Amino acid sequence: MHEIIKLENVSTTYEGEKRPAIKNINLSIKKNEFVYIVGPNAAGKTTLLETINGLLTPIQGKVQVFGQDVRKDGAKIRSEIGYVPQDFMVDQNEPYTALDVVLMGMYGKIGILKRVEDKHKAKALEVMELLGIKELANRPVGKLSGGQQQKVMIARALAKEPKILLLDEPFSNLDVESKEKIPKLIYQLHEERELTTLVVTHDANQIIQNVNRIVIMNEGKIIAEKTGKKLISSLKEFWWLPHTEAVE
Amino acid sequence: MIWFESLILQRTLIGSILAGLLMSIIGVFVVKMKISAIGYCMSHGAFAGAALGVALAINPLLTAFLFASFTAFLIGPFAEKAKLHIDIITGILFPLNMALAFIFIALSPEIGLKADVGSILWGSVLAMTNSDIVYLVSLCSVTIALIFLFWKELFAIMFNRKMAEADGINTKPLVYFIVFLTGVVITLSLKLVGGLLIFALLFNPASTALQFSYSIRKTMVLAPVIGIASCLSGLFFSLIFDLPIGSCIALVSTLVFAFSVIVSPKRRKGGREL
Ligand SMILES: Nc1ncnc2c1ncn2[C@@H]1O[C@H](COP(=O)(O)OP(=O)(O)OP(=O)(O)O)[C@@H](O)[C@H]1O
Ligand SMILES: [Mg+2]
Repeated sequence: MHEIIKLENVSTTYEGEKRPAIKNINLSIKKNEFVYIVGPNAAGKTTLLETINGLLTPIQGKVQVFGQDVRKDGAKIRSEIGYVPQDFMVDQNEPYTALDVVLMGMYGKIGILKRVEDKHKAKALEVMELLGIKELANRPVGKLSGGQQQKVMIARALAKEPKILLLDEPFSNLDVESKEKIPKLIYQLHEERELTTLVVTHDANQIIQNVNRIVIMNEGKIIAEKTGKKLISSLKEFWWLPHTEAVE
Repeated sequence: MIWFESLILQRTLIGSILAGLLMSIIGVFVVKMKISAIGYCMSHGAFAGAALGVALAINPLLTAFLFASFTAFLIGPFAEKAKLHIDIITGILFPLNMALAFIFIALSPEIGLKADVGSILWGSVLAMTNSDIVYLVSLCSVTIALIFLFWKELFAIMFNRKMAEADGINTKPLVYFIVFLTGVVITLSLKLVGGLLIFALLFNPASTALQFSYSIRKTMVLAPVIGIASCLSGLFFSLIFDLPIGSCIALVSTLVFAFSVIVSPKRRKGGREL
């Protein structure tokens, strides 16, 4: 099958830092794969996602998405990626409504000099309804609770109908019921639209059955990748062992 | 009251309205894109540049714009490369620009007679020429047209530049475009308001409007209304009490801001949302 995301020997260093946050990463993800990325704090999970979508530029190696170089075609590639950042909170006085924020996710895809049409608005509201936040559409987004804001950011990523989803701990603030429902919803969309989905999580309970692959990171490196049926059970063996270099 | 019918007053009135409108619209972008420090430094850069223009007896608009642009260049790409924090750059550039401005003023010929010097320092109701008005009118139309064209993208960048970028908007040219416009608008308003206080007109009406509104679209309308009102009442007090117009505008807009903080629905429990 076709490789949608391909990283070859990629290292990313933050500006002003000496040590790379991720180093020598090799990763190939095929179309319609559902991948979980796990690992302790500071393992480099967020850095990996932002290197994939080109928000961070690696100091070495090659990042290709849809077979194109992210460094060159970044904006176009990003317009096809739905990204939910980790812990995104909006200032309470921010003069934007929840609907504004969801719609905004589509702007890159709609394209410069083109107007937002009613169909875009309808799409945004439809996704908000799926996530149970339609009635919050006209509320200032900064006045919503942490979990509600997280749902807004998920809706923002989904409404643009992306080909790739990059979700960075997207369920961390959700209540028990939503933690059940929303991952299922995302998996359903993943299947229906043949998305390629990467989810960062800290929660072992959230590793749902249908996952194709689990990527385990530690200290900026991928220390193990698990695929196949035994993936869940094998994961339990080294879950939360931060310094297990020899897991494989 | 012959004065009130004079051409000079008409020009000053039109100039005040246009400067108030432009400065406060651009101010909303500057505040929401969190580039106030750049606007602040550019204001003083323009001031130093204008002083150089006066000293050399060339068009101060030209030198003001060059200095403002150079300041923006120093802060933006250069600071990125040199890895200097924006606060440090601001702290260094403010006294530098002031020092240059005062040296240029000291070097100006026949300083006592030069109305130009007073104008670039604290503004002047007599400074607006016909060509200044023509520039301001053109700039106004171009600015409003461009904002209208790129509104969608600017709207997203004002919310969060990183998220806008993550969703496929090429943010860099648009941010540079706003910085460029800031330089032009400051330059063209400088003679009226004065270089020392022009930052007040960029910052205060936008900040005031943001106290009231939960919609950025309404903010874009409210800010220029406040900006124009501040300019016109500043002009009025300046004429009545024979005070520098720049100081009057700065004072009025600060008072309006203080009032807005007191009555802001954002600071009140159960406040009405605009
Ligand atoms: N903006 C930054 N500037 C400098 N260093 C950073 C920055 N962001 C992250 N780092 C460093 O990069 C490394 C990887 O961080 P990253 O955020 O990718 O970890 P993570 O796996 O997402 O952790 P968490 O589970 O806490 O979210 C860490 O050592 C961190 O200190
Ligand atoms: Mg992280």
